[in-house]
Amino acid sequence: PQSLLQAYAKFSGAPLTVNTINNPWRAPKGDIPVLISEDIVISQPAKILNFLRKQKYNADYELSAKQGADTLAYIALLEEKLLPALLHTFWVEAENYCNITKPWFASRIPFPLSLYLPGKMSREALNRILLTRGGPPLYSLTEVEAQIYRDAKECLNLLSKRLGTSQFFFGDTPTTLDAFVFGFLAPIYKVCFPRVQLQEHLKQLSNLCRFCDGILTCYFRLTVSGHSPAGQNTADANLQKLTQLVNKESNLIEKMDDNLRKSPQHPPRKLTTLKLAAGGEDSSSLNRLSP
Amino acid sequence: TAAEPWPENAALYQQLKEEQILLSDNASSLAVQAFLQMCNLPIRVVCRANAEYMSPSGKLPFIHVGNQVVSELGPIVQFVKAKGHSLSDGLDEVQKAEMKAYMELVNNMLLTAELYLQWCDDVTIEEITRPRYGSPYPWPLNRILSYQKQWEVRRKMKAIGWAGKTLEQVLEDVDQCCQALSQRLGTQPYFFNKQPTELDALVFGHLFTILTTQLTTDELSEKVKNYSNLTAFCRRIEQQYFEGHDRDGSAMVAARSAKRSVPR
Repeated sequence: PQSLLQAYAKFSGAPLTVNTINNPWRAPKGDIPVLISEDIVISQPAKILNFLRKQKYNADYELSAKQGADTLAYIALLEEKLLPALLHTFWVEAENYCNITKPWFASRIPFPLSLYLPGKMSREALNRILLTRGGPPLYSLTEVEAQIYRDAKECLNLLSKRLGTSQFFFGDTPTTLDAFVFGFLAPIYKVCFPRVQLQEHLKQLSNLCRFCDGILTCYFRLTVSGHSPAGQNTADANLQKLTQLVNKESNLIEKMDDNLRKSPQHPPRKLTTLKLAAGGEDSSSLNRLSP
Repeated sequence: TAAEPWPENAALYQQLKEEQILLSDNASSLAVQAFLQMCNLPIRVVCRANAEYMSPSGKLPFIHVGNQVVSELGPIVQFVKAKGHSLSDGLDEVQKAEMKAYMELVNNMLLTAELYLQWCDDVTIEEITRPRYGSPYPWPLNRILSYQKQWEVRRKMKAIGWAGKTLEQVLEDVDQCCQALSQRLGTQPYFFNKQPTELDALVFGHLFTILTTQLTTDELSEKVKNYSNLTAFCRRIEQQYFEGHDRDGSAMVAARSAKRSVPR
């Protein structure tokens, strides 16, 4: 449930580290939540790809020039069509924001920033949505919202078509694009929001769910029993770092869990390790738009 | 599939070619013109100083077909499709996804870079944008309109994180985008091999305009010129769809007029 959100925030860059690299370079993640870190990441996808290529990281080294170009294009698609709805689900949709995002976010940053920063991020998200997608002929917020969710659903459909039956977007090994898509999809997929129209749409696209689950099982298990398909060559140092990060996360997760236990909206949840919990069947998921 | 008849008096509205239109709007307008040409749908270009205000979405260009008004390439493609004409029907689902992704890339990077150059680069604003944008109107309206638009565009740039970029970074982004387009195009005549699609129209609109518009520096067009298959692509589409038509190569006229104008 909510705990997963935090893990994904840290790990949205991780697939890059674990899969492919021979030296433990840390992809830009840092301990800031999904949206900020992705904000920094997304706004310079080209820089990241360039950097990766220069360092000759295995992930993208195998890609042809055309596949590299495709990566850039799909990242642009994610940013234009999916990101507004994602921002909205997390930061603007009142029920989601008040019950999940704000408490989680506030618990992770020190007082007194926690009083101010979530509100600021919420305002900035709304601002961004309105400036980039608002304007005539959409005149009210509800119209804009309807449009961005329509676009997001179309984007998910396109991703699903592109993925097809493959395990990853470019063959058998994950690449930057897989990391980006996973970074966008995982929060939608796993976080139990009260308002879940995007999640329900995503769940209908079984190959995308399979994609997320695949990455979760391969790259986010606490105990490294099996090894990830592309991970044989990666140094143990990477895995150790990952384990340390996850342990740190567990502590934070416990603390957060305590906070949320006090909140009346959610029944107390047992802390699980990164098990793939089923979606929130307890919350009243009102579907604003039918998929 | 019975195609609805395309009326003879279909018109595309944009700003005044010689004095007013800016790089980004010119690119968008050319993209739509190219698209309609590729669909074999005749349209005449009408220039109006207040075109921006006539548009249903505030963005240009818009087309007036029969009794309907549609603006921007995306909705125009849908509209034309509803009338029974489409360039992308032959593509499979994966190709369609790819096409849409690349169109977003162009909007995300090229168009935003054009807007940045026009409205966030001080030199360009002083010498080109501000004189041109409000030129049909008397003082002080021309100044007011320019400032208003500038403020609006800068707000948007700030929201998407481009306000903090330097011109060099923006040009680098343009280069990345061109590199991706060049790599995707390869040695093919069009992006999806033999037949052009709306993606080709969009890319042509932007690249051709960049190549043929004179700005305060040549750096932008140099970025495109680095990729020979892209310049060949532009030339190919120009020759095939814009020359030898009654419109006197409107692509060339539209673009080069922006070149000829020097601010007073």
